[in-house]
Amino acid sequence: MSKKNDINRREFLRTISLAGAGITLAGCSRQSTAGLPTPVSSAATATVGDENTQLSSEETANSTPTYGDALLAIAHGENPAEMTMRAIAAIGGIERFVQNGADVIVKPNICTDYYTYEYGATTNPDVVAAIVQLCNGAGAKRVRVMDNPFGGTALSAYKRSGIEDAVIVAGGEMEVMNNNKFRKNAIPEGVDIREWIFYQDILDADVVINVPIAKDHGTTRLTLGCKNMMGTILNRGQIHSNIYQRIADLTSRVRPALTVVDGIRTLMRGGPTGGNLDDVKLSNTIIASADVVAADSQAATLFGLKGGDIGYIPTAAAMGLGTMDLDAIKIEEFSV
Amino acid sequence: MKATVIRRSRQISQFVFFALFMYLFVQAVYLGVSPLESDLFYRLDPLIAATAMLAGRTLIAGLLYSLITLAAALIFGRVWCGWVCPMGTMLDWISPKPVQRGEQVSDRWRTVKYLIFTVLISAALLGNQTGVITDPISILTRTMTTAIWPGLRKMVFGAEGFLYQFDFLWPVLDTIHANVLLPLFQGIESVFIAGIPIFLLFGVMVALNWVAERFWCRYLCPLGGMLGIFSRGAIMRREVSDACTDCGLCARECPTGTIDKTQKYVSDPAECIYCYDCAADCPAAAISFPAHAPFPWEKKQPYDPERRDVLVTAASAAAGVSLLGVETITRREPERMIRPPGATLTDFTTLCMRCGECVRVCPTQGLQPSLLEGGLQNMFTPRLVPRLGQCSFTCSACIEVCPTGAIPPISLEEKQRTPIGLASIDQDRCLAWGYDTICSVCEEICPLADKAIRQDEREVTDLNGNTFTIKLPYVLRELCIGCGACEYHCPAGGEAAIQVKTLPSQEAVIRGI
Repeated sequence: MSKKNDINRREFLRTISLAGAGITLAGCSRQSTAGLPTPVSSAATATVGDENTQLSSEETANSTPTYGDALLAIAHGENPAEMTMRAIAAIGGIERFVQNGADVIVKPNICTDYYTYEYGATTNPDVVAAIVQLCNGAGAKRVRVMDNPFGGTALSAYKRSGIEDAVIVAGGEMEVMNNNKFRKNAIPEGVDIREWIFYQDILDADVVINVPIAKDHGTTRLTLGCKNMMGTILNRGQIHSNIYQRIADLTSRVRPALTVVDGIRTLMRGGPTGGNLDDVKLSNTIIASADVVAADSQAATLFGLKGGDIGYIPTAAAMGLGTMDLDAIKIEEFSV
Repeated sequence: MKATVIRRSRQISQFVFFALFMYLFVQAVYLGVSPLESDLFYRLDPLIAATAMLAGRTLIAGLLYSLITLAAALIFGRVWCGWVCPMGTMLDWISPKPVQRGEQVSDRWRTVKYLIFTVLISAALLGNQTGVITDPISILTRTMTTAIWPGLRKMVFGAEGFLYQFDFLWPVLDTIHANVLLPLFQGIESVFIAGIPIFLLFGVMVALNWVAERFWCRYLCPLGGMLGIFSRGAIMRREVSDACTDCGLCARECPTGTIDKTQKYVSDPAECIYCYDCAADCPAAAISFPAHAPFPWEKKQPYDPERRDVLVTAASAAAGVSLLGVETITRREPERMIRPPGATLTDFTTLCMRCGECVRVCPTQGLQPSLLEGGLQNMFTPRLVPRLGQCSFTCSACIEVCPTGAIPPISLEEKQRTPIGLASIDQDRCLAWGYDTICSVCEEICPLADKAIRQDEREVTDLNGNTFTIKLPYVLRELCIGCGACEYHCPAGGEAAIQVKTLPSQEAVIRGI
């Protein structure tokens, strides 16, 4: 036995750790084969309550090695479409949500026809178009984009927001919500309201993708993903009494599969309708998550707030619709 | 050319012009696109042109198209009535079978249309256009806008709603809805305060067809009267040759009943609408429309108004206009008579010809033809009823469509700065002020960048002793433009707790308008 062949404890540990590092690096290398390289964070993955059953996506994420497995992704940058695509890739890719042949409804915030998207009151058209493109790429049968504007008509608001033109180019359709398709539906998990009149197609769609814009709001301080559910119903005015609980109740019924928060041009004051470019801050951020509560909590930080500051976020978390504890989930944050 | 071919051409022309009228009507909506002006028929209407320019004391270039119609009358007589007018066409189509020839109606009734025309011109000279509501294009547009089209919409959407109960039909219904019904009827439920009264007036006009064919055109239509005067010297005039066998068919067929069987079947060129029915059906081919020297004018008819009739009518019109001066609106604007944007900048009452185009294009249908809210003199002029629809912030459709400039041609940016009224809050009924309830809808909806509605906070305690903060809205007079978005969306039941009312009179001074 030559002494040369002996390895001491230190060498053994070094070899093992190098091998481990190598394996880890090898694990990283699969990222580079992806069309959209995704940075991998080493943050520990913590299991979160209910939404994991809803997602049942850990396997999907692992079996699709090109995509990250974060529960929430934050993309910074200048290019809204690319940020959107990268953020969705980081949480497992669009295929995790949209199966081949799926009927997809994308629900942006097109609140009024008052101002163009630069004023930060309606969702960025590039973000919506990128999502439509991704869905089509994943083999969606049909991708419809709709909202129920309260100022101006749907047709004029679709036009003015720039979303109509962008969506048509991206291969989606704009649907003007049709009164005949609103139906009373039970809200089994509802705490305050047990039924409401919803747009039936939104409840029946295979996938609902929630694309709010993060902005100031007179009544609820901020309007984000949960608040965006107000556009799926009739009799909005009546939501205003006990608004936080009712927004959470609506969210429990619609359960968007994916929430992408447009935090690119954030309206800091004068919401929800806006109109002053001075009130718009370039936050240049996209937040994507299957967990609408987590997405909303993260989006609140764009305004220097926490999820707990926005009435409906803790309410929704208490109902088990997601987590507002951002330290407990795996988050990817990167620049594009 | 054979008379039957000309008659067929006339029938096709009627159909084409009616279809054109409906096309222009349907596309006259906010964001509508059309290569043609949606007020084309108004531009061709010489009665509208005359009264609008006389009353407004201004030259309105767009209305000079109507010279074409007058020129046509000098050549072909009342060819407008027989070949073009969509109202006449409609009356031709909706008539009893067999048609009523109207022999029991005295020919003296034909005078009435000339007298109505006299009233309109006299009143216009005095700056009043109230009577222009009798213009046939105006009647048809108004009735179509406020009654027929919305009624049809209710019917179609009712049927659609029924079919939507069957889920398996949704894919088909969605396609029809998006591609046919939405472009035709737009996405808004139509309600009009004046819809039923307007329809009843129209109903009477149509019903008179059962007394005599084209009763309206023969006896009442002021545009027909105006064109009749010009047709007296028409170049192409009806003539009956010696081949006539005295069969009397033409006299029985004539839709205006102007062929006189007692006088060798001659007709009055001021009554003939050039329909060619007589010539096409004449078994002896004795009827033709050859060219004459344009003058002298045809001989006087027994029903032509005497000079005295005209003078008395003109004087009566003047008296009528004076009488309208006793209406209260001449001293105080009613608080809820909100005019379309910018209209306070002009003498609206004299320029508006009650054509209803602005009402038609308004995407929220907040613009409504008024009944007596602004007095009889303002009947059918537009007013904004914000509880039914706000003045949409990014829309300037009524400004673009107004043929006379009664709604002045201001830019969208100017419109967004021009106050048409001022919101005021009824604190007793406001959910926040009166009932300590969180609401904020009016503040939220206000389209102005700086928000003309702001809120103060107040701590309140509820029955259970819980303390919370509510926001109490108030209006900033310096910013509010009176668009009525707040009034439309106010969740108070019935009348809104925030209402747009007529601007305080010093407002004009403060803002330098």
